[in-house]
Amino acid sequence: MPNKGIKSKNKIIIVFAILLFSLALMTLSAKQEKGTHFLDSMVGVILSPFQNFFTQTIQSISDGINHYFFLVDVARENDQLNLEVQRLINEKNKLIERIASQKRLAKLMAYEDDWEKKAVVASVIGKGATQWSKVIIINKGTQDGIRDHLAVVTDAGVIGQIIHAGLNTSKVLLIIDGRSAVDALFQNSRISGVVVGAGDDECHLKFVPNTADVKVGDQVLSSGLGGIFPKGLIIGKVSQVTKKKQGLFQDITLVPSSDLSRLEEVLVLLS
Amino acid sequence: MYFYAQALIIVFLFSAQTTWLELFSFGDVIPDLALIWVVYCAVRHSRAAGIGAGITIGLIQDSLSGGLLGVNTLSKGLIGYFFSTLKDKFFVEGMIPIGIFLILSSIFDGLVYYFSMGTILKGEVASSFLYQSLPVFSIYNGLIGPFMFIVLDKIDSWLKSKKTGSHMRITN
Repeated sequence: MPNKGIKSKNKIIIVFAILLFSLALMTLSAKQEKGTHFLDSMVGVILSPFQNFFTQTIQSISDGINHYFFLVDVARENDQLNLEVQRLINEKNKLIERIASQKRLAKLMAYEDDWEKKAVVASVIGKGATQWSKVIIINKGTQDGIRDHLAVVTDAGVIGQIIHAGLNTSKVLLIIDGRSAVDALFQNSRISGVVVGAGDDECHLKFVPNTADVKVGDQVLSSGLGGIFPKGLIIGKVSQVTKKKQGLFQDITLVPSSDLSRLEEVLVLLS
Repeated sequence: MYFYAQALIIVFLFSAQTTWLELFSFGDVIPDLALIWVVYCAVRHSRAAGIGAGITIGLIQDSLSGGLLGVNTLSKGLIGYFFSTLKDKFFVEGMIPIGIFLILSSIFDGLVYYFSMGTILKGEVASSFLYQSLPVFSIYNGLIGPFMFIVLDKIDSWLKSKKTGSHMRITN
């Protein structure tokens, strides 16, 4: 009997120790202690070569398969492309002239868009290690000028922000993650709200008053507030609007403008 | 040798989890290889090994997932502990018991995430999480896991035979 008592006491101690250790970790990381950042960086340094290897191998295999099937039509396409090349050479000459004139005009304009000049292109080498976190890992880090809380975009729009910049890899929290929040506004009505991740492949637009006129298909942009995302970047389009009879705000669902499940290259805005 | 092999297995599991495993996604849900490995350690090895594997794997998952450390450490640590205790009370051999263990551990893991998002992390969780994502995730792990157990058993027995072989050579 006393043995049984000691055993159950031991079990409680073990569970309590696990709880205590986890809570201590949460507290330390919430306070942004250096040790927790070191752990993040160390895991990144160890895993990134393997992630690079796997990503490149899959890319090569997929390219190989694609090219094999494309070869069947290559001869036919080649003839068509030769004709297309001739047409494009003529068009290129016209464009060179137009670009030269644009450059002259640009010099006259005082407008400068800083962030467009200061950006780093990075490749996606991995994703979050759990089913529930919507995080990607990119192959650029502090060595390339990347730091925490920088905006990450593609040509289609906003995808997320840097949450941890390691030496040569960084973690990007996607806008669909439940922990993400981006201040936003509608392109047409200029009504503002906050885009938060839904935890799946969509986002919710919160704090939009019931009185606001919102339609499916309305475009939502970053408002520039919050200091991470520059103003005017496309976030997504409204896919569903529900006006509650009670309550102050509407339930709005957004589809991100970028396809976040198929990201390969992204742009990190350095300023 | 045994320790390095286990470290290599962890690196391989996480590299796979974060890169090509999404090719096998089922409705945006992918199996959690790390979780399966923790249950494997808890069921096949000692309690200390189960808890140790859980905490280590949880820490790495936290580091790779961004945000607050500790959520996965908590869930995987407790899974390591509970399932190493449960294996003494139930007979865990064959595909079905292992599958059930994995389904239960996946549900527990998902619930820890769900409650931590609602309390500590103050984040959003998809409304379909409890009745769609979590059941699919759990069943997927329950289906894939037993096969992974077979592979891990083979690796384990091979490593142990190597260890015994080298020990025999030394004593001879």
